[in-house]
Amino acid sequence: MELIQALVNGLLIGGVYAVISIGLTLVFGVMSIINFAQAEFLMLGMFIAFFCWQYLGLDPMIGALVAFVVVFALGMLVERGLIERVIGAPDVAQIFLTVGLLIVLENAALLAFGSDYRSVRVPYQTQAVQFAGLIIGVPYLLAFVVSLVAGVLLWAFMRFTWLGQAMRATAQDSAAALSLGMDVRRIRQIAFGLGVAMTALGGAVILPYFTASPTVGAQFVVLMFTAVVLGGLGNVLGAVIGGLAVGVIQTLSTLVLPIQLQNLVLFIVFILVLALRPEGLLRQK
Amino acid sequence: MSREPLDPGASDAAAARRCRIGWGLALLVALIVPWLLPDQGYSLRVACLVLLFATLAQAWNIAAGLSGLISLGHAGFFGAGAYVSTLLLIHYGISPWFGMIAALVFGGLLAALLSLPTLRLRGHYFALATLAFGEVMRVIGNSWSDVTGGPVGLSVPFAQPSFGGLQFASLRSYYFLFLIALIITCLVFERIRGGALGLRLRALKNHPDAAASLGVDTTRAKFTVAVISGAITAVVGVLYAQFMFFFDPDTVFSLAGISVRAALIAIIGGMGAVAGPLIGAVLIIPIEELSNMLFSATAAGLSQLVFGALLIAVVIWQPRGLLALFRRLGGRK
Repeated sequence: MELIQALVNGLLIGGVYAVISIGLTLVFGVMSIINFAQAEFLMLGMFIAFFCWQYLGLDPMIGALVAFVVVFALGMLVERGLIERVIGAPDVAQIFLTVGLLIVLENAALLAFGSDYRSVRVPYQTQAVQFAGLIIGVPYLLAFVVSLVAGVLLWAFMRFTWLGQAMRATAQDSAAALSLGMDVRRIRQIAFGLGVAMTALGGAVILPYFTASPTVGAQFVVLMFTAVVLGGLGNVLGAVIGGLAVGVIQTLSTLVLPIQLQNLVLFIVFILVLALRPEGLLRQK
Repeated sequence: MSREPLDPGASDAAAARRCRIGWGLALLVALIVPWLLPDQGYSLRVACLVLLFATLAQAWNIAAGLSGLISLGHAGFFGAGAYVSTLLLIHYGISPWFGMIAALVFGGLLAALLSLPTLRLRGHYFALATLAFGEVMRVIGNSWSDVTGGPVGLSVPFAQPSFGGLQFASLRSYYFLFLIALIITCLVFERIRGGALGLRLRALKNHPDAAASLGVDTTRAKFTVAVISGAITAVVGVLYAQFMFFFDPDTVFSLAGISVRAALIAIIGGMGAVAGPLIGAVLIIPIEELSNMLFSATAAGLSQLVFGALLIAVVIWQPRGLLALFRRLGGRK
C-alpha cells in the first residue's frame, strides 16, 4: 500500500514536472538551444501567482494563467533581445548566455522581492480526498489537473493549428521551413515565449504546496533536465513521460533513502542516461 | 585588418619579442604590486583573490579552451580539494602541502571517473552532465555530515604561522604562493597547447569527425586534459581553504560562485589563450569585490546581477573575449 501511495504521489508531482519540462524541451526543439535559465521562469511564475494571491486575492490556479500570459510576453522580449543573437553561434556563447540570464534573473528577483520565503494560504491547502484507501492531497490533485489541461491544450495547439505545425516544421528543419515562406524568426520567438510560459505555469500551480523564493529555481534545474533528457531533448511527449518518471523516482527513493538524498538518485539517473542514451530513452534506432 | 608585412618571418620574430616583453612587464608588475599595497590590507587580499581565481580559470581553460569541453561542474573538483586537504589536516594533522598532493590525486581520479560517462558527449550535453556532477558533489557535501560536517561547513584549524603548515601571518606570503601556482598552471597550459597534444586537441576541437577519421585518438586526448584540469582545480581548492580558513558545501561547490565564475573569467578574457584568464581575473574580481563592499548591506544580489549581465554582454558583443578586442584595436593602429 505504501508503495502504491508513493507511486500515486509521484505521478501527481510528476504531472507538474511534465508541464515544466515541456517548456524546456519545446525551446530546445525549436531553437536548438538549451535554456539553462528555464528554472528562473518557473520562479517568476511562482512570484506572479503569489502576488496575484496577495494583492488581488486570486487563487494560484487562476494566478497561473496570469503567470502564463506575463511570462509569455517576457519570454518573447528576452528571445528578441538576447537569445536570437546567439542562434547558430558556438556552443560556448549559447551556454553562457543562458547561464548569464539565470544569474541575472535570480539576483534581480533577490533585489526586487528580498530573500524571504513566501507561501500562500488557500482553503483547500490541508484537505485530502480518500480513494480506494489512498490519500490524495487536494493541492497536489489540483496542480496535476491544471497541468494536465495545459499539456493537452499545448498538444492540441501543436497538432491542429497552423502556428503549431509551423513550429514543428521549424524544429525538424528550420532552413526548409524558411524556404517554404515561414517566418522562422517570428516562430522561434513565439516558441520561446510559449516554452517559458509553460514552465511558469508549472511553477504557479505548485504554490499551494511549495514556498516561493528567489533561489527556488535551483531546486528544479537538474530535475527538469533529467526529465527532458530521459525523454530525449526536443521531444514533447518524451518530456511528459520523463516528468512523470522523475516524480515517481523521487517519491520512491524517499521510501528507502533519507530525504536529502532523493535528488542524488536523480543526478545519478541523469548522468547515466546522458552517458548511455544521450538521445533519450524513447528514440528508436 | 593590418597591412600584410613583406617579410612574414620578420614580423613573427617581432611579435614574439613584443610578446616576451609583455610577459616580462606583467611579471614585473605582479612582483612589485604586493610591496605597494599595505600588508594585511583589504586591497592586498583582493590581489590574492585575483591570482587565486586566475589560476582557477586557467585550470578551467586547460579543458575548455584547448579541447572545447565546456564544463559547468568545476566546483566539484574545487570543493573536493578543499575537503580532502582540510579533513586530512583535522583528523591526521597532515600538512596541507601533502594535502595538496592528495587533492591533486583525488581531483585527477574524480575527473577520470567523470570522464568515463561524459567524454563522448558533445557541447550542450557535456555541459549538462558536468552541471549535474557539480550538484552531486554539493548534495554529498551537505548530506554526508559524518565526514564533511554537513551544511555547517569546516574550519581550518589555526596553527602557528609556518611554511610547513601553509599558514602565514603576512598576506604577501599568500600572494607569492598564489602567484607561483598561477605561473605553474600557465606553464602547464602553454606546454599542452604548444605540444603534440595541443595539436591533436585543436584538430578535434575544430573538426571532431575529421580528426577522428584521421586517426587522432580524440577520447584519449580529451581524457588527458580533463584529468589535468580537474587535478589542478582541486589544488586551487586547497589554496582557497587555507586562505579563507572556513568553507561550507554551498560555497565551494557553488555553481555560480565557482563553476560559472571560473568560466566567466576565462571567457571575458579570452578562451583558449593563456592570457585570457589573467585579463579576466584582473578585471572581474576587483569589480565584484568593490560592488560587494559598496552594496552588500543595502542590496544583496546586486554584484551577482552585474556579474550575470557582464557575462551576457561579453557573450553577445565580444564572444572571443577582451583579448581578441585588444588585438584588433592594437592591429589597427
